[in-house]
Amino acid sequence: MKKIIHLLFISSLILLTVSCGGKNGKNETKGTESADRAAAEAVETAEVVVTEWNIPFLNCLTGPIAGIGEYLQWGAEYAAEQINAEGGIAGKPVRIERIDTGMSPEKGTVAMSKLVEDALVVMGPVPEPVIMAAVPIAAEEGLYCFTATTSYEYAAEYFPWAISFFPPTEEKLQIAVKAWAEKAGAGKAVQFVENYGAWPGMAKAHALGLEAAGAQVLENVEVPTDAVTFGPLAVKALARNPDTIIFACNAEKVAKIIIELKNRGWKDMNKILIFSSADDAALYTTGGESLNGAIIYNFSNSNLDTPRWNEFSRAFKEDHEGMEPFSLSPNYYDAVYMIKRAIEETGVTGDPNKLAEEREKIMKYCNDIEKFDGLQFTWTNRGGFPADKPLFLFEIQNGKKILVDKIIPE
Amino acid sequence: MTLTLFYYLAITAIYILMSWSVYLPYRIGQLHFMTVANMAISAYFSALMTIHFSWPFPLVLLAGTLLGALTGFAVSTAVGDAPCFAVVIVGFTFIYLTKTVIENVEIFGGPLGIFNIPKIINSSSGNRILLIIIVYFFVFLTGFFINRFDRSKLGRAASTIFVDRNIAVSFGVNPKKIGMFLQTWSSAIGGMSGVLYAFIMRGISPNHFTFNFIGICMTILFVGGYSTMWGTLLAAPILWGFPLILPESLQAWNIVIYGILLVIILLLKPEGIITRVMVQRVENIRLFSGKKVTPKSPSNKKAAQ
Amino acid sequence: MNVLTAQFFNGLAIGSIYVLLATGFNLLLLVARIIHFAFPVAVVFSMYISWILITLTGNVLAGIAGGIVSAVLINMLTAPMFQHIMNKRESVDINTTMVLSMGLGMIITDILSHTFNQGFPIAFPDTLTGNDKGALISSGLISISRGQILTLAVGVVFVVILFQLLYKSRIGRAFRAIAEDPNEAKLVGIPLLKTGLKSYALTGLLGGVTAVLMSVLLGSASAGLGDQLGHKVLAVSIIAGLGNLTGGLIVGLLLGILEALIQGYFAGSWSNAISFAVMLIVILAKPRGIFGLKLRFQEI
Repeated sequence: MKKIIHLLFISSLILLTVSCGGKNGKNETKGTESADRAAAEAVETAEVVVTEWNIPFLNCLTGPIAGIGEYLQWGAEYAAEQINAEGGIAGKPVRIERIDTGMSPEKGTVAMSKLVEDALVVMGPVPEPVIMAAVPIAAEEGLYCFTATTSYEYAAEYFPWAISFFPPTEEKLQIAVKAWAEKAGAGKAVQFVENYGAWPGMAKAHALGLEAAGAQVLENVEVPTDAVTFGPLAVKALARNPDTIIFACNAEKVAKIIIELKNRGWKDMNKILIFSSADDAALYTTGGESLNGAIIYNFSNSNLDTPRWNEFSRAFKEDHEGMEPFSLSPNYYDAVYMIKRAIEETGVTGDPNKLAEEREKIMKYCNDIEKFDGLQFTWTNRGGFPADKPLFLFEIQNGKKILVDKIIPE
Repeated sequence: MTLTLFYYLAITAIYILMSWSVYLPYRIGQLHFMTVANMAISAYFSALMTIHFSWPFPLVLLAGTLLGALTGFAVSTAVGDAPCFAVVIVGFTFIYLTKTVIENVEIFGGPLGIFNIPKIINSSSGNRILLIIIVYFFVFLTGFFINRFDRSKLGRAASTIFVDRNIAVSFGVNPKKIGMFLQTWSSAIGGMSGVLYAFIMRGISPNHFTFNFIGICMTILFVGGYSTMWGTLLAAPILWGFPLILPESLQAWNIVIYGILLVIILLLKPEGIITRVMVQRVENIRLFSGKKVTPKSPSNKKAAQ
Repeated sequence: MNVLTAQFFNGLAIGSIYVLLATGFNLLLLVARIIHFAFPVAVVFSMYISWILITLTGNVLAGIAGGIVSAVLINMLTAPMFQHIMNKRESVDINTTMVLSMGLGMIITDILSHTFNQGFPIAFPDTLTGNDKGALISSGLISISRGQILTLAVGVVFVVILFQLLYKSRIGRAFRAIAEDPNEAKLVGIPLLKTGLKSYALTGLLGGVTAVLMSVLLGSASAGLGDQLGHKVLAVSIIAGLGNLTGGLIVGLLLGILEALIQGYFAGSWSNAISFAVMLIVILAKPRGIFGLKLRFQEI
């Protein structure tokens, strides 16, 4: 049965390649053209052993964040579909293997322990509890993990065997918060913080940014993880009479707290800053028009106008009931393309006898990749994280983000 | 031993121990969820002692188990003979308290947790083999003592309390003493499992000790059969391991499939797969070399219901 | 003072949700002898059904009707499962039914988490919530919405009606008789099937109304909402005394106010720990709940 499914899959891929090849070709950027040239050269020099590149993706397809897991998976599979339509990786098709951990550290651990036996490279795990449980195994056995959606601090723990697609939290966020605080004329701010993952760390970075702009944080209002109503927190914040408010909590909670703030007379929406981790479907579906005017910072820019982004955005909307791609949507798409470039440029063959050596090749190449053509922009990695990724400030208007400021790191 | 086998066996052992720690107080009808809090407290304690004070593993294991036993004992002085529901609230409270303290106090690593817990011995594969031996030694030891308890006078007294507390009291059984004993023992197992878990995973975070964990232990206990200790041994390796072997196409539905399976088993066998009567029959068959003897003891029959 | 008053009303808002859910939970216990740990999860499922119907038809009334019908159906489907398990046991047993309930909750939550609205939280339109009109009463930091008043009022009215129905009416006594001993109930001439179905429909109806009120009050729902509320509802029912409707009403509101005060005056992340610690002290002092059990349980 499995064989038949594989055969069907491969034949449908071939069909796809034939039917979509020409159409997508037009959309390629210069970067992918050069990568393809390099690929062609690499294919000539190294003989690829595998008939198909299998990239396992340790994702959360069930459980509380299955909604996020779904669009991360979508990004990876869409990339694989495009790559296959363009001729695959070093001439062989790529396939994303779905592995669900359901956010359980134990399941993640066992799944990872299976992968260290024969996987060339791993995407995920998602999210942090599974990363912390499973990546140490991979790091010890020398298997490279694309923890593309986690903060730098988590991946850094296992460097060089884990990569983050975000720069160190404190350094970059300060700049964005400072830029916003100066514009908003912040003097006395209140910050909503949820004790989850890297968020308290991000909140600290926000406070430093405010300080740099000459403002102070009056209070950090702690948001309980399982809070259902948010009146008490809104009252607590407003009782301090802040002139600005920053959010470092879950997307749905941000939206609900903003509604409560507005019910109690908060009007100046430009003086609200939402952090990047809340740029998720839940923010917009829950908040709706109540969010209009609020500012959000992020590492991705949904207003981009390039053929490749437009095509991605169109396909995303088509499969997601018209919703715009979310800030994390491109991460695993980019991860698949980064793996493609690493395999092709380092001449990885997929030969099981050279597994350790080829894993290391990919790791070394990606940790310091030069001018990688990401879906949104070209970036360079230094020591397992992007050194020159820009940061954007947007104003939210009817579920859309309007660019206000672009902050390019020095 | 492959890595996968190591993790599978080691985590199965933890689930067996933790399900037994729920089983013990349930012998007198108490759902003692506090054991998960004990597990977390001892896991964090062992991680800190090993990393910051270089305590050797045997000392940490002993101290972690004692810490569990002591907390369990202290609490049991208040709720040793409390009704099941009150004990449930005790469990919830301790889990929330432990989680909140861990998340908010810096030395515990906050929501990130504590990582890089050292190995017991330097060699990776040697460490794994040693751990499996240690973990299963303690599974065996705990199982041995539970089995002895179940067959002892005290065990029969516990069964009587489960069936009818008033009758038990009229026979001179002291439910509070038995409750305190079982809760303390359960918390000690929780503490021990916490230390072992920390050394198996070599990293712990508040996300490891959740209500989900209790859910799995409860499922193992009730699907396996809560009237004997043997059901746990059967259900633990199957139930938690089952989603791992589902084909890729069914991965997204593994929880639904798991849930449906659970419901079906409960509907078909409300007392769980292995019942006391079944265990008794097997023993009788063994004793009377093939002759089938139905147990006649009324207390056994009732307890199995 | 303004802050304190505001927090008091905030507490009533979350408290009234606890009241409704605890009442449904207690009702299931009283008329069907079911400890439905995942009752809040089933309610959230009905909220999703409501949302789907509103999205499809654009009609709020269709959504409300759909939510209620789905709650009744879920109850009609699941209640026999619980009773099947209990029929084989002679007395109410919280534990096996709790595990079955957990299993059902697991299935529902997981279906919600990656099927409806692709797993994203759902938001109800302003035509249902009335959010576009702003708060009903607003003064300084105090803000009371229509949903808050409606939920609290319905919660109180339901408890009064159900109390009358269960303890003062013929059909109520029949419900309780069947729950306690079906065979004896049959002997005294109570039509088992008809009465049983009515009791399931009644609890389903309460679940459905709760779902609609929660949609109005919260304005949105996510797959994890039921689990978030589950422990608190169980705790409220235990603290009040299982099966005690009036107790559930009072303790539910008190817990809401307690939480609001902790979140408002202390650290928010400690609110669960402190609330449960307070409840622990209460349960240690009154192991059978403040207001006493309303059922004869297996003495454990």
